[in-house]
Amino acid sequence: MPENENPHFLFFSSLLGKKVVGADGAELGRLADLVIATGEPYPPVETLVFKARKQTWELPWSAVAEMNGTVRLKPDARPAPPPAAPVSDRIRLSEEILDRQIVDVGGAKLVRVNDLHFLVVKGALRVAHVDVGFRGLVRRLGWQRVVDGAVSLLRPGADYLVKETFLSWKLVQPIESAPGRVRIEVAQRVLATLHPADLAEIMEELDRHQREVLFRRLDVETAAEALEETSPEVVTELLETVPPEKAADILEEMAPDEAADALADLPHEQQQELLHAMEKPEAREVEELLEYPARSAGGLMTPDLVELRPEATVADALAEIRRRAEELPMVYEVFVSDPGGALKGLCTLKDLVAADPAVLLGKLMRETPATVLADAGLKEVARAATKYNLLSVPVVDAAGALMGMVTVDDILAEVVDAR
Amino acid sequence: MPAEAAATPAEGRSVRGLWQRTLVFLAVVGPGLITASVDNDAGGITTYSLAGSQFGPRLLWTLVPITVALIVVQEMSARMGVVTGKGLADLIRENFGVKVTFWISLALIVANLANTIAEFSGVAASLGIFSVPAWISVPATAVAVWFLVLKGNHRQVEKVFLVASLLYVAYPISAALARPDWKTFALATVTPHFEASTAYVAMLVGLVGTTIAPWMQFYLQSAVVEKGIKVEHYRYSRLDVIVGCIVTDLVAFSIVMACAATLFKAGVKVETADQAAMALAPLAGRYASWLFAFGLFNASFFAAAILPLATAYYVCEAFGWESGIDKKWGEAKQFYWLYAGIIAVGAAVVLVPNLPLLKIMLLSQVVNGVLLPFILVFMLLLINKEKLMGSWRNGPWFNAIAWTTTVVMIGLTAYLVATGARDLLAG
Repeated sequence: MPENENPHFLFFSSLLGKKVVGADGAELGRLADLVIATGEPYPPVETLVFKARKQTWELPWSAVAEMNGTVRLKPDARPAPPPAAPVSDRIRLSEEILDRQIVDVGGAKLVRVNDLHFLVVKGALRVAHVDVGFRGLVRRLGWQRVVDGAVSLLRPGADYLVKETFLSWKLVQPIESAPGRVRIEVAQRVLATLHPADLAEIMEELDRHQREVLFRRLDVETAAEALEETSPEVVTELLETVPPEKAADILEEMAPDEAADALADLPHEQQQELLHAMEKPEAREVEELLEYPARSAGGLMTPDLVELRPEATVADALAEIRRRAEELPMVYEVFVSDPGGALKGLCTLKDLVAADPAVLLGKLMRETPATVLADAGLKEVARAATKYNLLSVPVVDAAGALMGMVTVDDILAEVVDAR
Repeated sequence: MPAEAAATPAEGRSVRGLWQRTLVFLAVVGPGLITASVDNDAGGITTYSLAGSQFGPRLLWTLVPITVALIVVQEMSARMGVVTGKGLADLIRENFGVKVTFWISLALIVANLANTIAEFSGVAASLGIFSVPAWISVPATAVAVWFLVLKGNHRQVEKVFLVASLLYVAYPISAALARPDWKTFALATVTPHFEASTAYVAMLVGLVGTTIAPWMQFYLQSAVVEKGIKVEHYRYSRLDVIVGCIVTDLVAFSIVMACAATLFKAGVKVETADQAAMALAPLAGRYASWLFAFGLFNASFFAAAILPLATAYYVCEAFGWESGIDKKWGEAKQFYWLYAGIIAVGAAVVLVPNLPLLKIMLLSQVVNGVLLPFILVFMLLLINKEKLMGSWRNGPWFNAIAWTTTVVMIGLTAYLVATGARDLLAG
């Protein structure tokens, strides 16, 4: 490629199917694909693939002399057959990206690739954007001139003409490529910063294989957060696809009640295997929760809460919340119980913040408006939360000892699912 | 047949193994049964009624090869869904590109719109027998369909559909009420018989065309994917498909039989399924007639609920537009416009007075017929791709059967398209 050209943009669709000719002008075949290596934010095309009859040939991009109506090769170009097995960190654009689904990590959704946009600079062809818009579709259909003309005649300022629906290559995550090989670093980092609920939605929309590929790329913490938001069937399916050690790590990271829900649907043997692989304390918590039906107070409750004695001060309580902030998903109240474990009362976060640090919890605490037993049904728990405006409903055993709490987010999720 | 998933040796020996397998089957069952049931929609019931009333038992034998062809085609759809985890529209887009996808989607929209119109006219006709006027029944059905899908989640909707497919039992009962001569019918089923008359050939082709329709392949494959059936459990899914196809054709069989034992014997000429239902009353009793009409309503409603939604899903899937009933209107515009548009147009067209409904049905048959060969060939190309299917590709024998089926189907639908287009243009 001549290196003195001005930088300009080029669509993949305008290259596909172009004639590839030798230095002498003899036709060798038609351009079928372009291959990039991942690693750079805007990776250059390294290899050109063309088809002659049924045969496929490859050439390094450096063998291209010029691109003008046809792709003309340099005299010393030696086409070679493509490698039999896929090579790692190589993406074949037509085969693996065009027409496929990718994750738009910027917009946190799944999109389908209609076209690719290259930047031609210094003889190199760099992938700059993916086109996911309607105009890209029209271009692929070969009707751009007609449709553009019609639209500009009817509505010259239409979004269709003005707004390009391009996504930066940096911010897309291909999910079709062979498992675990190709990833785009920037996109991978942004992926971990997506809201877990968005990530969960993307995973649910993907097909089974893609979902597994994406899931395996998540680190343990992100995976755990996303699974907490994902529907139980999908969670079960995903846990079966990773090695038991990783699954156990993910389960440890998850809130115990969510982890118990995830395990509940697995076959008994696998459930035991995973529980064994988990750290002892976490495994015990989860095992206890597994005893209860999923939609009862026992099944919904989490043992992760702040429980203190009446003799503790407000300062102690705040310090305790700070100390455990990492592991507690949410804190809205501190429970107060006697040495026997019987629940005496609770202090809301507001009470604690407003009170003098030296006040004893036993003085400050208010009476618990409602408690439920572990076998209480979802309805009963929901009713208690609604009636007394509770953010978490304490669960006690027959003797009145605190076992855990059901938080309002879990109640809501169950109620919405049951509609 | 394709490679079997290896069964674990311990499985299947104990009672517990049997129980477990039954549970897995029950969890996997649904897509095949539902797809096959929707297949007996308003158009299907009309065709079967006409076949029975015009030719008596003389077309019954064709249901046997039709069932085999249906199983062959549907099994491939289910297998592709389980193995690739993708819908057919997805696979076509990813393997054959934008242009092919565009034309297939366009044809699918037209065909399914015409089918939906046929379903709504089935609703109007069947409820007309119970004296409900069309201007009540059609809008009410449209609204009911809209809410069923919008307010229900996938599992609930599937349960409603499974119950609806049980209601097809109305037809075998009304066939029994018609007191057929069982021996004649049994014999006619196993004895191939051919007549060279144009009417006979046209009816035969119509039967094939109404039983194997393009949308079914899309629907079944997506339903299997949506259910998340695993490759290990594929054999249960296959059983679901086979049972579904056989049950469906038993229903078709009873419709033909009910009409053959009564209308054909008495020489009553009918042109539509609701006329057939009414004509049954004096010959087989009021209940047979009511059951027949109820069956028509059930089938039409059922299909009217599935077709618009399914169409909207495939088209959006293929083009990468957001889709799904859990999205807001603004998030998934194309999806909702397609879905609402097909229901609204389908219902509205039926209410237009003096509309040539027979022509619309003919048009739907022609478009389906044009589309089907492409779909079948694409399916065969896809299912033989090693990259997609691995060891689950068709074996040589299965390929021979599948290609033969496809070639025969293409021949028959070419005939259907040619005569249909001629009739459309002629008058």
